[in-house]
Amino acid sequence: MSMFSKKGKRWMTGLSALTVTLLLSACSGGSGGPAAQQAGGGETSETTGGQTELRMMWWGDQKRADTTNQAIKLFEQKNPDIKVMGEFAPSTGYFDKLNTQLASGTAPDVFFLGGNVTDYASKGVLLDLTPYVGNELKLEQMDQSLVEYGTLGGKLVNVSAGANARGIVVNKTLFEKAGMPIPEDGWNWDDYARISKELSDKLDGVAGTYNFTFDGMDIFLKQNGKQLYDMENEALGFEEADILPWYQYWDETTQNGGVVSPEMQVSNPPNDTAKTLLITSGVGMTLIPSNQLAAFQNLTEDELILVQVPRGPKGTGVVFESSQGLSAYAKTEHPEAVAKLIDFWINDADAAKILGSDRGVPVTAANRELLQKDASPADLIVYDYTSRVSEAAEKENFVVSYNIPGGAEFTKLGETTVQEIGFGRKSVEQAVSDFYKGAQQIFAKNKTSAQ
Amino acid sequence: MKSARRRQSNWTAYAFLTPWLIGFFCLTLGPMLGSLYLSLTQYNLLSPPQWIGTENYRQIFTQDGTFTASLLLTFKYVFLSVPLRLMFALAIALALNKGIRALGIYRTVYYIPSLLGGSVAIAIVWRQIFDGSGALNQFLAWFGINGPSWISHPDYIVYTIVSLSTWQFGSAMVIFLAGLKQVPADLYEASQIDGAGKVKQFFRITLPMLSPVLFFNLVMSIINSFQAFTPAYVIGDGRGGPLDATMFYTLYLYLKGFSFFDMGYASALAWIMLVIIGAFTALVFLTSRFWVFYGDQEGR
Repeated sequence: MSMFSKKGKRWMTGLSALTVTLLLSACSGGSGGPAAQQAGGGETSETTGGQTELRMMWWGDQKRADTTNQAIKLFEQKNPDIKVMGEFAPSTGYFDKLNTQLASGTAPDVFFLGGNVTDYASKGVLLDLTPYVGNELKLEQMDQSLVEYGTLGGKLVNVSAGANARGIVVNKTLFEKAGMPIPEDGWNWDDYARISKELSDKLDGVAGTYNFTFDGMDIFLKQNGKQLYDMENEALGFEEADILPWYQYWDETTQNGGVVSPEMQVSNPPNDTAKTLLITSGVGMTLIPSNQLAAFQNLTEDELILVQVPRGPKGTGVVFESSQGLSAYAKTEHPEAVAKLIDFWINDADAAKILGSDRGVPVTAANRELLQKDASPADLIVYDYTSRVSEAAEKENFVVSYNIPGGAEFTKLGETTVQEIGFGRKSVEQAVSDFYKGAQQIFAKNKTSAQ
Repeated sequence: MKSARRRQSNWTAYAFLTPWLIGFFCLTLGPMLGSLYLSLTQYNLLSPPQWIGTENYRQIFTQDGTFTASLLLTFKYVFLSVPLRLMFALAIALALNKGIRALGIYRTVYYIPSLLGGSVAIAIVWRQIFDGSGALNQFLAWFGINGPSWISHPDYIVYTIVSLSTWQFGSAMVIFLAGLKQVPADLYEASQIDGAGKVKQFFRITLPMLSPVLFFNLVMSIINSFQAFTPAYVIGDGRGGPLDATMFYTLYLYLKGFSFFDMGYASALAWIMLVIIGAFTALVFLTSRFWVFYGDQEGR
C-alpha cells in the first residue's frame, strides 16, 4: 500500500465505496416489477418522436418472412405514425421463444398463435380485443365462425389470419405412373389402406402414405362422434377404447407395407418443406392443412391435388377452420395501434394480395374473391377444395376443435407413442394405454394451472 | 492502526473484485437460489408461482419415466464420450509431442473442432454426414455395406452424438500437450539407460507425470458432458426424438421449462442434476489421491 499517496488512498476508499454500492444496487435492479423491465429492455415498444413502435412475431420459412415484411412495410406507409419491427423463428423454436419472452415481460405486441391459443388465453397473457371491435378493428367482413373461434371465455383473444381445411394431398403424377385411378372424395379408410399398399407395391421406392396416426387422431374421433378436447365440460373428449382402433388401423396398414418407414418419417418429416418426401416423389399421399399445398407444389414438378379425408361413420370430420391468427400481448402499451395492424392484416386488399394464402385463405369474403381472380393453379385447387369442404359441412357439421390444454407436451407424447409402435418397442395396446394415461396427466396438470 | 490498514487493503481488493462479484451474485448465486425456490413451486412461467413444497421432487422420483430414461441416457453418453474424448486427446497430444515441424499448425487444426464444436453449424454438418444418404453411408457403400440412417434410428443416434463429442477433443489435447512439455527429459534419459522401452516409459513416467493434467481434464469433461445440450437438440428433432433417443437430461429440463410450461418442475430437475454432477466430481476428487501424482510428492 505504500505505493499510494495519502490522497491516492482516499481516492481508493471512495472508489471502493462506490463500487460496493454499485454491487449492491446492480442486483436489486433486476428484480423490479414488469414496468421496470419494460423500461430497461430497450427491446419493447416505445413511442419516439410521435411515432409508435410495435413488435410483431411469426413463425415460418424465409418466403413467408419476405411477404410478411412486405405487408408490414405497406402498413407503415399507410400509417406513417406507426413503426413495426418484425421478428420470426422457424416453427420448431417459435413457441419456446415466445414463452421465454412472455415470462420475462418482453413479448412482442402482436404475435401469431395456432390451435394452442387456449394454452395462452387461459394464462391471461392475451389482450381482450373486444373494446376495439367496430373502432380500430372491423370484423363485419369476417366469417362469423372464425370470429367465434378466436373468442374464448367471452373475450376476443385471437383474430384468424387465414383459414384452411385439412385434406389428403395426392401426388397425381405418381398415380398416373402406376396406372391407378386417382382417389376421389367419398372414399373410406379401407380404401385408403388398400390404395396405399397398391401404390407402394407398384412403384419402386415410393410409399403409399406417411403415418399420420397422431395428426389425424382428432379427425378420426370426430368421424366417430367423439372429440379430442371437450371444451364446454373441460374434459378429455375420448376414452382409451375410442382411439385403440385407429392405432390398430395404422399398425396394420404399416405391417402390410403401405406406409413410410418410421426411420424415413424421422429423417424426412412430412411437414418440413425442405425434406418432405412429398416433393421428392417419395410418397403418394398424406394429410396436410390446405394452406400448405402451394408451398409443396412450388417445390416439385409432380402434380399435387387435394382430396377429402376418407370417411368414417359420421362423415369426414373436417371443418373449415382457423389455421392461425393474430393475438395481442396483454401488456402492450399501444393496444389501439395493435388493433389497427390486425385490422389491416385481415381487411386490407393490398395486404391480402401480398400475403396470398400462405397462412390459409383470407378470412373475409371480399379478399377471397380478390385472390381467386388471379390465383395460381395450386391456389385454385385449394379454393376448390375448401369450398367442397364448406359445402359438405352444410350437410354434416362438426364442431370446431381446440388443442387440449398442455398442447406441446401432448403432441410430444403422441409422436413418441406412434414411434414406440413403429420401432416395435411396445404393443399397440400397451402403447395406447400408456398414451391415454399420459394424456390424462398432462390434461389434469394444465387444467389446474390454468385456474 | 495496523488493522485499519488491513481493512483498507481488503476494501481495495473487494473493489477490484467487484465486477466478478456482481456477476457472481447477480448472474449465478441469485438465479440459483431463485431456481431453488421455484423448484418448490408450481410455476407455469406466466402466472405467479404457487408453493407446493417437495411435490415436484416426489413426482420426479416416483412417477416420471422420462426422468429415469433421460438420466440413464445421459449416463450412457458421459461414460462413452468422456473416456473416448480423453483417449483421443492424449493420443494426438503424444503424436504431436515428437518435436515435429509446424507443430503450431497441427495444434490449431486439431483444436478447431473444439472451437466450432459447440456451435449449431457443426451439429448440422454432422446431421448431413450421418444421414441415411449422407457422406458416411456413401463411403460405406464403396465396401458394399448398406448403412442405416444413423440419425433417424433410436438405436444409433446416441453414437452419432458421442462421435461428435469425441471429435471435439481439441481443448483437452492442448492441455495434455502443455502437460507433456513439463515432463523433465532427464527422466526419459535415465529410464532409457535402465533399459525401459517406449511402453514402459509411457506407463511409468508419462502417465504418472501427466496425472494432474488428466485429473483436470477428467473433471472438466465429466461436468461438460453431463450438461450436453446443443448436439442433442440439433441432431435430434429438438424434442428428444426419435423415441426419446436424444432426450438428454438438459434437453428434458429445457422442454419441461420452456415448452411445457412447467418451470417449477424444470428447476427441480436442474437441482437434481447439480447434486449428481457434484457427486461425480467429488468421487473423482476422492479417488484422485490414489492415482494423481504431483511432482513435488516424494517417494510415491
